Amino acid sequence: MTFGIILSYLSLLLFLGLFAGRLFKRTSGDFFLASRGIGPFMLLMSIFGTTMTAFALIGSTGKTFDRGIGVYGLMASWSGIVHASIFFLVGAKVWALGKKHGYVTQLSYFRDRYKSDTLVLCLFPLLVLFVMLYILMGVIGSGRFIQNITPETFAMKDHVTVVEAPKPADLAIPETWKERLSYDDAKSAFVVKGSLHPKRFGLFRKFSKEPGWTHPKTGTAREIVDAAPRGAVTIPYGMAIICVVVLFYVFFGGMRATAWANTMQTLVFMVMGIIAFCVITNALGGPVEASKNLLESNSREHSRMQREGLIHHLQFLTYVFIPLSVGMFPHLFQHWLTARKASNFKLTVIAHPICILITWIPCVLLGMWATGVLPESTAPNAVLGMMVARYSGEVLAGLIAAGVLAAIMSSMDSQFLCLSSLFTNDIVARYSKKQIDDRTRILYGRIFVIAVVLAAYLIGLTEPGSVFDMGVWCFTGFATLSPLLFASLYWKRTTKQGAIASVIVSAALWLGFLPNVFEASKSGGEFLLWGMMPVAFMVFCSTAALVIVSLATPEPSEEDVGKFFAK
Amino acid sequence: MKIVVIGLIVLLAIVHHDFWWWDAKEPLVFGFIPIGLAWHAFISIAAGIVGAIAVKYCWPEHLDEEHADEEGGAE
Repeated sequence: MTFGIILSYLSLLLFLGLFAGRLFKRTSGDFFLASRGIGPFMLLMSIFGTTMTAFALIGSTGKTFDRGIGVYGLMASWSGIVHASIFFLVGAKVWALGKKHGYVTQLSYFRDRYKSDTLVLCLFPLLVLFVMLYILMGVIGSGRFIQNITPETFAMKDHVTVVEAPKPADLAIPETWKERLSYDDAKSAFVVKGSLHPKRFGLFRKFSKEPGWTHPKTGTAREIVDAAPRGAVTIPYGMAIICVVVLFYVFFGGMRATAWANTMQTLVFMVMGIIAFCVITNALGGPVEASKNLLESNSREHSRMQREGLIHHLQFLTYVFIPLSVGMFPHLFQHWLTARKASNFKLTVIAHPICILITWIPCVLLGMWATGVLPESTAPNAVLGMMVARYSGEVLAGLIAAGVLAAIMSSMDSQFLCLSSLFTNDIVARYSKKQIDDRTRILYGRIFVIAVVLAAYLIGLTEPGSVFDMGVWCFTGFATLSPLLFASLYWKRTTKQGAIASVIVSAALWLGFLPNVFEASKSGGEFLLWGMMPVAFMVFCSTAALVIVSLATPEPSEEDVGKFFAK
Repeated sequence: MKIVVIGLIVLLAIVHHDFWWWDAKEPLVFGFIPIGLAWHAFISIAAGIVGAIAVKYCWPEHLDEEHADEEGGAE
């Protein structure tokens, strides 16, 4: 049932891609920027959907379970303030410059603003690396997610699992299970036919009262459930399904399909989050009852209803630098350029913090209440899934799954298209010896979309464990590069040498601290520098490099920078 | 008005660090939201309101005016 709902949702996306493809104007401007014709509502949904990943649903619930309600202040309310400010101060301005000078990508803007190919060649590999890590988090995450939520999708009737264990004296297997579960006296072993859902443990446990059978970790019932195959959609297939669906609509519809799909997917994950909240809250006896029970339970040393002992003051304060990363996301930059007019940003500036609130508050509350009902050892990323499994049926599980995948895909599609744009426009078209016409540009765009999706899928197949640590760290990388963007718009005196120095310092710090990030991650913690987020120090260093080197090098001519600043 | 908007954003950033409710679980707003979380939900709403004020009074209207001519013929 769950997998059926997911497939129905993905089919809807394919249909949307086909429809958007029919409206495709067959120009590179339409493929990469939807002919700069996106209205205010779709712009809001595209931008919000692109900035929110699966973390908005699964991560926020899990992180609250682990670190308490302060997670909202760390990630959501800071983002509301900083993102909206960036859309106001940077987004609309970049749009105007893009429209005036015909920029298609972030790099084409930087090349023109700083008059430097060297800067672009320094930035290009960094941006590709960061975006690719971001994509891989989505690809691998979706594969794992689909596998986790689709047990018993395939019955695997011919598969036999044998678990050697003594037969409990009071063993009573119900008639309905006798065909699938039996005891072979000759082998002194249990025989299971077909696949098993992990939740069958609850049922199996009731077949005997002996501790050797019922123990939640070492009992025979647990052993049998763990040994039998899940019958789920495996990670490679799950990843392939998601990659093919996103590839399909990006390939045929380009940015227009991406913007439409993002609008639909953003609405889907917001609505599904609210539905999950209502159903689970109802099962917990209502919100007032759930909070009252948690207050009285005192189940943890530090209650997740506050921040003391869970989040450091300096960490909370310096988290403000993380949302600066949105300024440097090349895929978001490209979305900014799609607006029909600058005033279309107005709705995004006002509504973005509210959309964050609508998405995050229900998830944070669920994560908080989960501390009263789930064991402390529960893996944070499994919290939402377990709450859904415990308090709702398969239909809701399917709908929530569609919501989570929507959140993942609404970022992934923009990233695929963005990397394709960077390769096509900033490398091939720029360094090709002959002039590339519009049709060839679309062709290259599509070829690169396929290449990027294929590369992401193949790397994803190796399931590199470090991708998630590096992926989270890439937000710090984007944020460290942000002074480059702000200076380009607000400081005429910035020079190309200053910009290059800032990029080199950012890259060196990002790579230099990477081992510390891995080390902290292994011990289950977060890498902090003098008790604060390292991004604060890194932004300071990259800004210092930009300012010092700019002041030490000759001022750019009015001819070079005049067109970027109002007289 | 620009100064007022900048001042409001700075104020939001300052009150974001609500050390006074760092270890408070209660009161529960609407009977179920811990005060620390409710405060930050309020900050999100306030960010939207400040955004609305900024858009109303400080929006760079000239950005669209510059492209008004192109808009007519381009699409």
